[in-house]
Amino acid sequence: MFKAISAYFQKTETAAWVLLLPSLLCLTIFLFIPLIMSFCLAFFDVTIFLKNAEFILFDNFKELFFDGRFWNALGNTAYFTVMVVPIGVTFSLVVAMFVSENSLFKRSLRVIYYLPVICSMTAIGIMWAILLDPTIGMFAYWLRALGFKNVQLLKDPNLAMPLIAAMTIWKTFGQNMIILVAAIQSIPDEYYDASMIDGANSWKQFIYITLPALMPTLGFCTITSTIASFMVFDQTYVMTRGGPMFRTETLVQYVYTRGFIISPFRLGYASAAAFMLFVVIAAITMVMYHFFMKKEAKGL
Amino acid sequence: MKNTISKKFSIGGIMCLLCMILILAAVLYPFLWLILSSLKFEPDIVQYPPRLWPKQFTFMQYIKVWDKLPLFTMFKNTLIFSALVTISNCLLCAMGGYAFARMNFRGKKTLFIIILFTMMIPFQIVMIPLYILEHFAGILDTYWGLILPRLTWPFAIYLMRSFFISLPSNLEEAARIDGATEYRIFRQIMLPLCKSAMVAVGIMTFTNNWNDLVYPLLLTNSVGMRTLSAGLAMFVGQRIIEYGATLAAAMISLTPLLLVFIFMQKYFVQGIALTGIKG
Repeated sequence: MFKAISAYFQKTETAAWVLLLPSLLCLTIFLFIPLIMSFCLAFFDVTIFLKNAEFILFDNFKELFFDGRFWNALGNTAYFTVMVVPIGVTFSLVVAMFVSENSLFKRSLRVIYYLPVICSMTAIGIMWAILLDPTIGMFAYWLRALGFKNVQLLKDPNLAMPLIAAMTIWKTFGQNMIILVAAIQSIPDEYYDASMIDGANSWKQFIYITLPALMPTLGFCTITSTIASFMVFDQTYVMTRGGPMFRTETLVQYVYTRGFIISPFRLGYASAAAFMLFVVIAAITMVMYHFFMKKEAKGL
Repeated sequence: MKNTISKKFSIGGIMCLLCMILILAAVLYPFLWLILSSLKFEPDIVQYPPRLWPKQFTFMQYIKVWDKLPLFTMFKNTLIFSALVTISNCLLCAMGGYAFARMNFRGKKTLFIIILFTMMIPFQIVMIPLYILEHFAGILDTYWGLILPRLTWPFAIYLMRSFFISLPSNLEEAARIDGATEYRIFRQIMLPLCKSAMVAVGIMTFTNNWNDLVYPLLLTNSVGMRTLSAGLAMFVGQRIIEYGATLAAAMISLTPLLLVFIFMQKYFVQGIALTGIKG
């Protein structure tokens, strides 16, 4: 009996499942079940006290549709993403081109550019909030010295989001830069040598060799950055708390506020909003994935 | 790869150099400002026009913030949370990655696709159900509640798999012929081999969890359970403390990671590079 059990556990197939079991258990309990729950919750009217849950079908979604604050948050999040992703990825690419060589100087540059990435957004947000403060901040002082009047920076409803986006690029460009440097370094030298013989200049080399070779990596960077941008929370929570005039309130923040800050703490309603966020992200990821795969297939 | 941007001392080359140094200054200046400002007296920070260099250096802000905030508790919580999660991630993800990379079993492909799919689900999507689950399990606002959901990390499983696939294919054959069990092969041959990948994964996990805000913010609510990020974000919001102390607190929360980074930056880059190649 014992031998049979022992032999069963010795089989490669069983061993594989045994090795995977802890991870699978954890993912099932803390990821899959919540994912299904979040979908179900959206159809209930339930508060944080979890009493008297009521099945209300699509009422949450109907209400969301006419909820100005939800659309405002979605708009803010999209605005943030549209600023951060294209500018951020392009900037990372340009910097990566500059520093892709393995000289000591450029290696050191890469390390320093990566520095903000490892720092916590909370601490960085605190730091930038004071740097960008209209009364005591350095930037306000410099702008006034340059002759700008009425410098409001983070307190200016029109400027707050772009500033937070710029700060986010400052903090995160090193991440994509490192990934792109690794990809640039893996392009074979022969391509460049051959094109040199054909008389291609560095710009042409960039357009016809580097860029196409980087397409899958650029796709990866764009998709991951987009997902991260749609999840933006830390920056706006620390720096502006969604203000001024809700102009920096993001979707995740709205979900958090609805569910856990404003009474009645409507978890069902917040779940519906979170579910919408999931749909938006899934759709965008899918479109981008096909876009980059097609580019790659064409060899562009 | 050869440098595609002209190597000669052309105008373009000098412009590139200038740009790089400008970016360097833009990255370093805020940090310099943070360090120097945390060493100022309060009136020195709020004075107009603002100045970078302190009139007089002082550690008062650090002492003050230590008095006013439960920094030690927050520090301890963050350390316990991130360290345990890191250890567990290294181990469980190595196990999972190894199984996916070098063992055959039914449903492997499907399962791996599911793992890839889970990589795409951000925590924010499942945060409300997770809160409810933890409420019913009675582990809200405890170390268990913080640690259990993070025991494994699909992304790290994926990284570990990429690593194990890159190892030569005949490694375990000899051991199998000698009659070693699968577990022994994993423990005695594979685990020692994947140390460098583990360090890379470990550093990533540690930084991510140390820095995470919304996760501990949601799953803890007593001051005694707050992590550094969550605690600082709270206190800054309530404007309990002044600018100087706030900056000192930010500095304290950054220091451990900066130290880890300075001494282990090779591994940071290694882990990131592992990500991109398979992009």
